[in-house]
Amino acid sequence: MITTVTLNPAIDREYFVDKNEVMKNQFIYDDEDLKIYPGGKGLISAINFKSLGYQDVQNIGFVGGKQGLFFEKMVQKQNIISNYIYTESEIRNNVKIIGRDPATYTQYNDYTYQVEKEEVKELIVRFKRSISESNCILISGSVPEGVDFDIYQRLIKIAKEKGKHVFLQASGEALKLALKSKPDIVTPYFKHHKTILDMEINDKEDYIKAGKEIQKRGAKRVMIPFHCDRLLFDKNGDVYQLSPRGYCIVNWLGSSDAYNTGYLDYAFQTEKFDFLEANRHGGAAALWIAENKEIYLQNREDYNSYLDRLEINKLEV
Amino acid sequence: MSDVRDYMVRTMNSVTTDDSIRKAIILMYRSEQSVLPVVDHQNLFVGTIYSNNILKNIIPESFGFLDSSRLFYEVNEAVENLKYVKDEKVEKYMSRNRDAVKEDSDMKKLADIMLNNKESVLFVINDQGFLRGFIERSNLLYYLLDQTGVQTAAKE
Repeated sequence: MITTVTLNPAIDREYFVDKNEVMKNQFIYDDEDLKIYPGGKGLISAINFKSLGYQDVQNIGFVGGKQGLFFEKMVQKQNIISNYIYTESEIRNNVKIIGRDPATYTQYNDYTYQVEKEEVKELIVRFKRSISESNCILISGSVPEGVDFDIYQRLIKIAKEKGKHVFLQASGEALKLALKSKPDIVTPYFKHHKTILDMEINDKEDYIKAGKEIQKRGAKRVMIPFHCDRLLFDKNGDVYQLSPRGYCIVNWLGSSDAYNTGYLDYAFQTEKFDFLEANRHGGAAALWIAENKEIYLQNREDYNSYLDRLEINKLEV
Repeated sequence: MSDVRDYMVRTMNSVTTDDSIRKAIILMYRSEQSVLPVVDHQNLFVGTIYSNNILKNIIPESFGFLDSSRLFYEVNEAVENLKYVKDEKVEKYMSRNRDAVKEDSDMKKLADIMLNNKESVLFVINDQGFLRGFIERSNLLYYLLDQTGVQTAAKE
């Protein structure tokens, strides 16, 4: 069983129009121009794992209200095992308007979702009993309003006490506190501010300093997105840079989730784990998403053909 | 041959034996499921809690025979009883039946189990007994509907 955690999921709605104009009614008649899908970092990885052939994949988190039930149905349609705490508050809806000519992208991000303390307590209880079949837990994404920033720290502590491996993708205060529970693999992401552990991140030296600090605070291995590259921090202190060659990016959505999937899939499939090879697989999966206008991976063969387009160089630090 | 896993609903929505009845009611209401699986602290299936069972225990004498003249009195009595019952444990009101089906069971067998036990919902487990979800009559009917298509195609 693979367990992924998505605390702040959303229903993502994409509307494609010829031209996005203010004060103009738009009419959508073609279902190709309207896409509705369940969103959330951990969930996208869960759907990817399912596409790669894993039988049991569960997604743990919160959903709320009638729209939460609709969200859950969409998740179940992907053959993912839903494992949700139902909240009083309605789930988020993110709306994206994509204009064709001129090419525009307007996004309305919904941050109204609110989780109650009792619901958080319930999530902890559910998480504790639901990870018994999993060796590895992927925790990824943001934390909703009402949930304390130490939530990842608490979840990781439970997982580590049960001897599980934890892969964490987080940002801000939640990331900072989570490091106290010593997750195995950490990949930070930038949300509103370009900071990691309260440090301003501008040039490459800042990234390297942040990666080393994350390791110092408890993570065994770290991967930090660096423009279109990744900086990789192995547990022995070595630092590498992974770079794609000759790429043409058409889509960002889902690429970091594909990276996490590719990395972990390699780890699950191999008997002799190699950190750099795991990242090469992650990078290939992310590159396939970025070049193919897809959100989810379809199969391993697609992105395995991208493996030789990634180079990894050791950095002198 | 079709397996239960082809038609089931995959969800870990559940309560444990030591959860309160209040928690079970809230979960039933929010998830729109009037029957919930009961699991242990490892997620192993141990039984079922029915909303009917809870109702029978809070309106013990007249359940099923509510007459409109007595309705107000009965509802008040139910509310009073629930004040006590809500803090009791699921363990006291659950059925420790083991009529769960395996996810790799044949759908043909499911019809037998469902009709013989008069169950509208059956919980689905894996070979080790861990909860995987549920399957209900509508899923069974949908399977049968699929079969009508298969049979028609075979005849053609």
